[in-house]
Amino acid sequence: MSLRSIFKGAMLVTASAALIAVITIAGILALAFYYSDGGRSWSVSVTRVSDALTYDGTGYDFSGDELLGDDRWAILIGEDGQVIWSLRKPTDVPEQYTLTDVASFTRWYLNDYPVQCRIREDGLLVVGSPKGSIWKHDISTESRLLHDAPLWCGGIFLLALGCVLLLAYFAVRRWFRQAQHVRDSARSNWINGVSHDIRTPLSVVMGYAAQLEEAPDLSPEHKGQAAAIRVQSQVIRELVNDLNLTMRLDFEMQPLRKESLQPEAFLRQVAADFLNGGMAEGFDFEMDLPEEPLPRLEADPFLLRRAVNNLLINAVKHNRPGGSIRLGAETEGNMLVFRVEGGTGAGSSRPGRPEALGPDGGAAHGTGLKLVAQIAAAHGGRADFYGGTPYRCRLCLPVSGASVTSRRSPRS
Amino acid sequence: MSFKILIVDDEPALQNMVGEILVRAGYEIQGALSCAQALERFRTAAPEAVLLDVMLPDGDGFSLFGQLRQIRDVPVLFLSARDEDEARLRGLGLGADDYITKPFLPQELLLRLKAVLRRVYREEPSTAKLGDAEIDWGKSTVRRGDGETALTAKEFSLLRKLWEARGNIVTVDALCSALWDGPLVGYENTLMVHIRRLREKIEADPSHPNYLLTVRGLGYRLSREGTK
Repeated sequence: MSLRSIFKGAMLVTASAALIAVITIAGILALAFYYSDGGRSWSVSVTRVSDALTYDGTGYDFSGDELLGDDRWAILIGEDGQVIWSLRKPTDVPEQYTLTDVASFTRWYLNDYPVQCRIREDGLLVVGSPKGSIWKHDISTESRLLHDAPLWCGGIFLLALGCVLLLAYFAVRRWFRQAQHVRDSARSNWINGVSHDIRTPLSVVMGYAAQLEEAPDLSPEHKGQAAAIRVQSQVIRELVNDLNLTMRLDFEMQPLRKESLQPEAFLRQVAADFLNGGMAEGFDFEMDLPEEPLPRLEADPFLLRRAVNNLLINAVKHNRPGGSIRLGAETEGNMLVFRVEGGTGAGSSRPGRPEALGPDGGAAHGTGLKLVAQIAAAHGGRADFYGGTPYRCRLCLPVSGASVTSRRSPRS
Repeated sequence: MSFKILIVDDEPALQNMVGEILVRAGYEIQGALSCAQALERFRTAAPEAVLLDVMLPDGDGFSLFGQLRQIRDVPVLFLSARDEDEARLRGLGLGADDYITKPFLPQELLLRLKAVLRRVYREEPSTAKLGDAEIDWGKSTVRRGDGETALTAKEFSLLRKLWEARGNIVTVDALCSALWDGPLVGYENTLMVHIRRLREKIEADPSHPNYLLTVRGLGYRLSREGTK
């Protein structure tokens, strides 16, 4: 997925989240404002209730029954704290009030009745609602906090923005992985399919070529041609195997199955299998192992065999029609180094300084050396490739400190 | 004994090629291009071993393997173009005797088939020829001209191991494993002594061996030339 797609995805998620946040906050504020507003619905009615209550010099006249509805009541408390007028006053509402009572109910409740008050010239008008019908809340805050409102609003906004961006990141990453998985699966299925379809016909070619090589009635020239077909088929086989394995390592589909290996025995077996396969005909082969035993190695034998085999195949490929190949090993610090050298003078002379190639052995070398580098990296090591003559590559793999120490101890 | 092998593969060209290799090596063959055909041939021809492809037109080899095993317990080697670990492990996990990935060399197929048959049927050739030396596996002796020499247990194991892989290099590590069931360390010189003594018994000129050849730095190889 491109950077542009990631950016577009992040913008989309951010915009959606911001829109949702804005609508939600606006809705909550509108709702709160409409239904509370310092008791707007009350204050309107309590003012009108007050206006509807008039004193004609002898008594009070109230003309606003419809304002109170069926369940509200009202009282007028005089300057002396005595109720001087009332309408539908509940029995548990007192007739007399002290200053403390007034101070308390004007802010909260009067005997659990939510009430609203209005100051009049002749006293305090109190309009009450049924118990439990209204929730009253008192808010107070420091002025300094209100002055700093832009600051903490900005902080909250940034926090929210951070959360949204984090969400966007995870969402986009998930999309990216899903898209990558689909693409990788398609590619891996295609390569698997192609390699599967190549293998069966290649078996037939290799099988008949090997039989012709041993046919008693065939001329040496024709036997040589059959051998060439067989060897080239084996090269194609290795190529198909490399392609599959490269793909699996690329897509992390190849698990590492590590075992403890004795490097000398491992290298001898790889070399023997390589020579038994008949791909090094015309070459002299030499093992170059130190006298002292090498430290044991924790590695996936299948992958490591593949890597060394590829180095040997490459040595043959680049030194045809013949010459010598040398496979060796040594320790360098905490690294175990496998060496493959090839060429007419391999091991005996080293004309000039070999030119170091890229980490994948140079593009011209195909998938074989790229795979070697991948296998080395999968084991926490590296592969060094050198051009020039003699052909030379090194596979450096880490060994544990304990293995190196035990190697240095005298043999019992 | 000539073993009868059932080859199950939907590709006629491959079946022909494998068939020719096996016939040339002295086996009898039966072919099947599908699961249905394989079941029918398996019942009628009663083969001693089966070479089984994994992907068949009317089913998969793994299922067919289970069906064959229900009928009769014979060695089965998978011949498959699928080289993934999962497929290989599944095949072997089901109880197959071997899993060979295509493409393969005829010699590799023969060696692995022979190893399976030897393990299952315990069929051992009684004698072998190495130039003018004749080895009697049953008596563990080597006859050259008029003389007969007995092989020690270690020499016998050594020769047997090399014979089974004749033509191919056998590493010193593999030989030590076969002889002492352990790694090479400490046995290098003993192995060399056994090799020298074996050469004295099978070679006309032990200093210039024709059959038991040293592959320097790797191991030994028993030449295929002149061996039967």
